[in-house]
Amino acid sequence: MTDITKVPRTGAARHRAGVGRPPKPLLGTAILIAALFALPGGYVAWRAAGGSESPLALLGSRQTLDPLWRTVQLAALVSVSTALLGTGLAWLTTRTDLPLRRLWRVVVPLPLVYPSFVGAAAFISGLTPGGVVHDLAGVFGIELTIRLHGLVGSWLVLTLFTYPYVYLPVAARLTTLSTAFEENARLLGDGPRRVFLRVVLPQVGPSIAAGSLLVFLYTLSDFGAVHLMRFETLTQTIFRTRLFDRDRSFALALLLLVLALLVVAAERTVARSGTRRGARVSAIGDRQSLVVPLGRWKAACTAATAVVVGLALVAPAVSLADWGLFGWFRSRRGAAGLRLDWDDVVAPTWNTIWVSTVTAVVAVAVVLPVAYLLARHRSRVGGVVNAVVVAGFAIPGLVVALSMVFWTLHASPFEFLIGSMPVLVFAYVVHFGAQAVRTTQVAVEAVPLRMEDAARLLGAGRLRRLATVELPLMAPGLAAGAGLVMLSTMKELPATLLASPIGFRTLATQIWNTYEALFLPEMAVLALVLLAISATMTWLLVIRRSEHLR
Amino acid sequence: MDQRTPRQPSRIAAALLLVLGLTAMLTACGSDDPESLTVYSGRSEKLVGPIFEAFTADTGIALDVRYGSSNDLALLLSEEGTKTPADVFLSRSPGPAGYLDDLGMLAKLDDDVLDRVATTDRSPTGTWVGFAGRGRVLVYNVDEVATGDLPGSVFDLTGPEYAGRVAVPGSNSSFQDWFTLFRLRNGDNVATGWLNDMVANGSRFYPKNGAIVEAVGRNEIQFGLVNHYYNFQKVAANGDAQRSANHGFAPGDDGGLMIIATAAVLNESNEQDAANRLLTHLLSDEQQRYLTDSVYEYPLALGVAPADVLPPAPVDRIGAVDIDDIAAEFTRTIEIIEASGVLDQ
Repeated sequence: MTDITKVPRTGAARHRAGVGRPPKPLLGTAILIAALFALPGGYVAWRAAGGSESPLALLGSRQTLDPLWRTVQLAALVSVSTALLGTGLAWLTTRTDLPLRRLWRVVVPLPLVYPSFVGAAAFISGLTPGGVVHDLAGVFGIELTIRLHGLVGSWLVLTLFTYPYVYLPVAARLTTLSTAFEENARLLGDGPRRVFLRVVLPQVGPSIAAGSLLVFLYTLSDFGAVHLMRFETLTQTIFRTRLFDRDRSFALALLLLVLALLVVAAERTVARSGTRRGARVSAIGDRQSLVVPLGRWKAACTAATAVVVGLALVAPAVSLADWGLFGWFRSRRGAAGLRLDWDDVVAPTWNTIWVSTVTAVVAVAVVLPVAYLLARHRSRVGGVVNAVVVAGFAIPGLVVALSMVFWTLHASPFEFLIGSMPVLVFAYVVHFGAQAVRTTQVAVEAVPLRMEDAARLLGAGRLRRLATVELPLMAPGLAAGAGLVMLSTMKELPATLLASPIGFRTLATQIWNTYEALFLPEMAVLALVLLAISATMTWLLVIRRSEHLR
Repeated sequence: MDQRTPRQPSRIAAALLLVLGLTAMLTACGSDDPESLTVYSGRSEKLVGPIFEAFTADTGIALDVRYGSSNDLALLLSEEGTKTPADVFLSRSPGPAGYLDDLGMLAKLDDDVLDRVATTDRSPTGTWVGFAGRGRVLVYNVDEVATGDLPGSVFDLTGPEYAGRVAVPGSNSSFQDWFTLFRLRNGDNVATGWLNDMVANGSRFYPKNGAIVEAVGRNEIQFGLVNHYYNFQKVAANGDAQRSANHGFAPGDDGGLMIIATAAVLNESNEQDAANRLLTHLLSDEQQRYLTDSVYEYPLALGVAPADVLPPAPVDRIGAVDIDDIAAEFTRTIEIIEASGVLDQ
């Protein structure tokens, strides 16, 4: 195979593949970080070891195997569909003359912010009689008889709410990639499809794999969507048995963790072979983006993008607005109005904004050494560190929260920190840091060593090089990773409820509170506020950051 | 953490402390009330928040409340063990309280508190007390079902006229509470047989009470086994547009059961008196009236009548049967429910 992207593999690129041993400080830092990320997994293993159920023995029973098989099926399906959807949308919004590209770039990542119980609930109610989508179809004489549940329902909802895990890293990668190869290929007579398959795809391959991996792990950990869709996955069983059969619950959680480790190891193998095929391409180059004219496909592509955004973002939002309006107009019909005051909205909104921003920044800073180790050096330790940090994402948030309490109270000198902000942010970082690992790694790989060499020759110290050469080049990748962490933190629930300082309220906890009391109109208003601020912050912190280079 | 502050603020702080101290002395008049209590609440802030506010207004004792799901909070408490900051635990149902009782984490309550409710509404060992009840009822769609056709017994639901028309929340903790009692009263054979017949009859599984009331309201399904409370919330929100209503089974039928929300005090609490005071407040006439008039739950304090809109209160309570090993019974319940296949319906 003569791959055009192989061209720059001589010289600097080969040097960069870094056969050299990692420096000791970097190795030590990465191991320390991995140890911190291993805390939830260590807690699960400790509890499982102390319990009466053996994970291996449980593997022999149908009551374990059936949910396990359903889990694998669902996670695989969702990974594949999000890979297609996320990559397609990323290419359309960064490389083509799709109309309204700037708008799409802000709204396409947003479905990630729906807490999955809210998203699934809104989705179900929108499609059923009395729901917005159902009644709208009725206007056109279509009687919708779809009742979402089971594998199909879970797959659809999770696909629509998790494709941003693929979209954000791939779009970030496409933004930084030089378009020179694409232009050359075009000049040599390749059509857009051939250019996409032969040139673009190999370069973004690792980003797609990384995003799909996050989707897979998220699906393993998800409880909200499968619960409402009545699909009994392993995590559902873990939740159902958590109180009255704790031993079994922890044994199953350990199985889930092993499954996650296997998948992460497999992805790393694939990603490394991708690297060998020449996926590392310099971020420096001609930044005048090459625009692929969609031509007669323009209408179809626009419609497809609109349908995805419509289903994943607008339909649930309209469902929510529908619920919210109920409350608004209720007072006119003599019933009580919205049972919501400013205190319920303002402080939680502010808390959500700052805690998710702080978490995103800390998470990216923490995984940066890991990313350097993975990108610049080949070492066995790198593989282990990667597995530990990334696989932890499959551990459900509730378990992460309990593990924080366990370690803080019983096995650390930090008992006095229990119920404080640092513990909460630490829990978030450990839970969501995995989301920033691959995008950060890709960002590090995109910095050509020759630039660094030049800076070093000019006398710039390590920190100066980081600040003036590397960070600006890495910005889009780092912003994408931070964006994922930020959106996830905004909707996080179990750790916020159990590990936060008492009385610390976020929009997610408020949404849950109103949902629990069945105050649906109030829940809808809060969910719409969450959506609005996440859109604003995605634009401010992610989109603008990644575009200032262009 | 080091809380030292520069001199100016520390003077202000000292002055504030002095004022606070004087106020406390004047108001408390020698009593040694703590400044605050920590509560873990498995009931939503939207429901119990006003009760807590009234307590602070009455006593001057601030409440730090951690809200969460009852099961998760019970797990948190068991993980915190002797180091828990919690003084009081409120739970949606007796299950999580029983779990903590088995771990020896609950203190014996004052007799004054226990005597506020009937013996059926408190733990046999006096470690928790019920403060509000939700009835297990059959919710039905008012357009599809005539009131004359409503069943008297939960056993009727396995008949052909209910084929494919009944929603069962198999994974819901209230349903599991009910099924545990149902099992203990009728024996495992009868209970398992009933559940299998329900499955064979095409009953559909829904994960939550709220989801069932919604589904029944929009006629996705015609009947559902739920807690009475949800329909009132839906009617409060939607008025006449909500096309569902509650039906109570015949008095004494096994389908009717009161799930009671419980309150308990942690062994480790250093504020046993104040914690018991909070429970007394929860069971006061005034707060019990709030719970039934505004939240549509059954009051459990003796002498307080349920709100007029509520269906007659079910007689049976989950606490009525002396369950030696709650954890074992719930494990058995979950096994039977899983084996029945109802969760795949």
